[in-house]
Amino acid sequence: MTMIPKAIGLLALTVLPSHAAPRGEGGSDLLAIRVGKAETISQGTLEHVVILVEGGKIVTIGEDLLIERGIPILERPDWTAMPGLVSCHTRIGLEKSTSRSFEPNTNPKREVYPRQKVWKELLELGVTTLGLVPEGNSGVPGQAIAIRPYGDTIDEMLLEEDVYLKMNLQSSSSSKAIIRDAFGKVDTYNKKVAKEREKWEKAREKSKKKSSRSRSKKSKDDDEKEGDDKEKEKAKSTEEVPKEFVPPAPDAKVQPFIDLREGRLTAMLSIRKAGDYLHLLDVMEEEEDVKWFLRVPLRTDIDLYEVADRLGEREVLAVLNTRITLQAHSRRERNIPAELARTGVHLALTPESDRMSSYEEWMNDVGHLVSRGLEREKALAAVTQEPARALGLDEQLGTLDAGKDANIVFWDGDPLEPASRVQAVMLEGRFVTGEVD
Amino acid sequence: MDRSRTRHFFGISWVVLFTLGLVAPGFSRGAARLLDDEDEKKEEEKQDEKEGEEDDAYFAVVGGDVITGTGAVLRGATVLSKNGVIEAIGSNVFLPEGTETLDAGGMSVYPGLVALNASSRISGGLLAAEAPIVAGRDILDHLNESIGRALGGESHVDTPDNRRGDEIGDWEDLQGEQEAGAKGSKHNDSFDPFSPYMTMALAAGITTADQSGAAVKLKRGEIGDVVMNERNLVSFSWSTENPSGIRSLREKFRTTQDYLDKYRAWEERGNKDEKEPPKKGVDRSALRVLQNRSLARFRANDREDLLGIARFAQEFGFRPVIDGCREGWTVADELGRAGAYAIIIARDRRPKDESLVRPGGSKIENAAILHRHGVQIAVKAFTTSIESMGITGRDILHLPVEAAFAVRGGLSNEAALAAITTVPARILGVSQRVGTLVEGKDCDLIVTDGDILHYQTFVQYAVVSGKLVYDKEKELYFAHIRPRPEGIEDELEVEAVEDDGEEEPPEGDGEDDGEGDDEGDGEGDGEGDGEGDDEDGDHQDDDS
Repeated sequence: MTMIPKAIGLLALTVLPSHAAPRGEGGSDLLAIRVGKAETISQGTLEHVVILVEGGKIVTIGEDLLIERGIPILERPDWTAMPGLVSCHTRIGLEKSTSRSFEPNTNPKREVYPRQKVWKELLELGVTTLGLVPEGNSGVPGQAIAIRPYGDTIDEMLLEEDVYLKMNLQSSSSSKAIIRDAFGKVDTYNKKVAKEREKWEKAREKSKKKSSRSRSKKSKDDDEKEGDDKEKEKAKSTEEVPKEFVPPAPDAKVQPFIDLREGRLTAMLSIRKAGDYLHLLDVMEEEEDVKWFLRVPLRTDIDLYEVADRLGEREVLAVLNTRITLQAHSRRERNIPAELARTGVHLALTPESDRMSSYEEWMNDVGHLVSRGLEREKALAAVTQEPARALGLDEQLGTLDAGKDANIVFWDGDPLEPASRVQAVMLEGRFVTGEVD
Repeated sequence: MDRSRTRHFFGISWVVLFTLGLVAPGFSRGAARLLDDEDEKKEEEKQDEKEGEEDDAYFAVVGGDVITGTGAVLRGATVLSKNGVIEAIGSNVFLPEGTETLDAGGMSVYPGLVALNASSRISGGLLAAEAPIVAGRDILDHLNESIGRALGGESHVDTPDNRRGDEIGDWEDLQGEQEAGAKGSKHNDSFDPFSPYMTMALAAGITTADQSGAAVKLKRGEIGDVVMNERNLVSFSWSTENPSGIRSLREKFRTTQDYLDKYRAWEERGNKDEKEPPKKGVDRSALRVLQNRSLARFRANDREDLLGIARFAQEFGFRPVIDGCREGWTVADELGRAGAYAIIIARDRRPKDESLVRPGGSKIENAAILHRHGVQIAVKAFTTSIESMGITGRDILHLPVEAAFAVRGGLSNEAALAAITTVPARILGVSQRVGTLVEGKDCDLIVTDGDILHYQTFVQYAVVSGKLVYDKEKELYFAHIRPRPEGIEDELEVEAVEDDGEEEPPEGDGEDDGEGDDEGDGEGDGEGDGEGDDEDGDHQDDDS
């Protein structure tokens, strides 16, 4: 209730620039949406919710807010709103391409074709953000890009380039060596830089000395020849020793790993089984500064539960596909996402595969996990907030909060119930599907 | 290691002497001990480095009948491990504060088994390629032979080992390669500590598995330092059907031997100006064998091949490891004289080639006869695979049963146990660490509910490097078959699961013993004697 005056105040004052709206029209595009329920993710489930949208952003959200006269209102008391779905590791919409084994400096931007039916279909399912990855299940295939499935050109679709570097790590000498070598090359580069710097410092000192010496000479003796020499020297020294030290440019394939170490880039480490995780720690323990999260494609007989506690201890962010698995050599079901979530792992779920049918079943599958023990809140966060975090976009989207992108999916019931359907989808303040008059 | 200090610390403790060669009579004993001693020195250095790195972790297996593998059986004894190494064995061992204990009352404690030719999935996990190269060839071998049999003729798989020239480049290179050792091993990097196949291997009592020649410790839940030795075996092929192969092998050994002689003479002279003898034609593998750094392995079954190998080995003074050795019983004295190791499949069945007058074919007494002549016997399973989940009864999960078949053929119980513990450990070059339960060796042991060679016996617990890695009741494979008697189970639940810091004296030892016997497997439980086995062996032998 305390929010009401605040909200009104906001309404009175806000004239937000509408920079990010795909609509891009001038003037105010304020819209109030009143729905029965909202899964905000950040503040749990709210009822009788008013969401105020302007300029592609959520201006405010709260229960039973008063709406100022004159603002258009969309009344949908049967609807449930939730943030747009985020799939943070996928190749949907991309052609099958040759698998890359070590291309850390590339991303799949050029593989994206706008104006495909698939983007529209994804929007209709409520998927508003996608993390597209390069093809490759071994080595370091490249970096991922974040897109919205909307727009006529790739630049319109693109949200962010180089959101994370995909690295595959398996328990084998060669696989571990690839990553160790990559960081080893950064060390070699750093050494080279240090050497160059030393050289530069020496050269600079030398030139300083020389110039000062010649200057003193000049004051003593006005020999023309010497003056000439000095001038020459001066010219030479300014030519050879720049005032600012310019480090040599690193190899394009080394740069991403420098970025990793300096925190400009995040790594996504893809492993295939529990044992790989220990080998991953073995490799990454030397790289303390590198931020990374985990991806594990769940196979039927995967044994990831073996390291559930260890993953939980570190509060790892783990990207999993939505699946119930079996314990190896048995028919015992294991709900690995639920088990991990219980230990404190941050869960991000992706559809079972990159096919459209998997996207159609996605929320059904998530609901299935919930019916088998996965905590509801964590399940919803696992398709919105957490994948947004994986893409480094959690400041911008992933929850229904004031200031975030107005990416909202409207359901006619509980999103996790199989009978529920998407009624409308809003992407950055604009309805892209659904009948809204 | 400072043994005197520990002894004084633990009061009365059993001092088990380092009598490894016990099972191997005569000549082989001395040689074996020499080898082991040498390895032990290296090991001691390693362990000294390890000390003081972290807090000491104590683990004790209390109250079981400890079959040490050295000939001694200690009733109701305690095995205490400190940081994975056996600190003390005896009936009055002082347990330091914080010792984790496992009650083995009424059960038997054996050294962990060592499986030769094991599927790479044991350490590589579900996604590993099924068979290691060597084992793959092994299966091929068997297939080929059965095909050959069907066609009424002989057939051989020609192993390409001899043809692969492996000349050494540099002496320093050679030393360096030795130093590089097991740490950077590919087996360390591909080790899957959660492999379900490993669990099954542990359920079969196996704590060390041969993974393409590397001795890998089956540690669960952790990685690193699992490879103990991976360069102890060098394969050569020898077949009378390929005389040129034999010729080239002989040539290789001769050249290498000449070089070694010259090198030693040169070294002795110590003349700095004199050049080192040339290494041309020196074969790296042969050099390792002749320097006693590796064992030479031959895959051979036929009498003529075996004879040839025995004589070749005597000529160059090394001990051959003969994999197969089916007709070994016909030339046992020659093999014994050559100080050979034989890796046999006790249930190997193959009729003699009727076109030959000489004795031949398989014989159930093969192991016993060879052993009597001084050949060290190791037993391996028919298939390296673990995929069949034990259905065939001839895979690696039935290693002890396989050894029991050798007992049926006349081999002693002790020798049969050695055939799946100490001898394979020696073949893999890790006898200084595993194979017997002796102070100073790794605490790799299994706790069974009866004689390990009895078909009814289950492994109840497996311990690797002083850590409990298998508990029958907690794994899904065999928990439902003859569950552990309740009284024991309850107590173990308390004891086995992390009881840091608290020291509970095992209560009601005597009672549990009684219970164990009643509800357990009837006679022969925990006695470790042969009577029962031979009887029971009958059943199984009928069908083979």
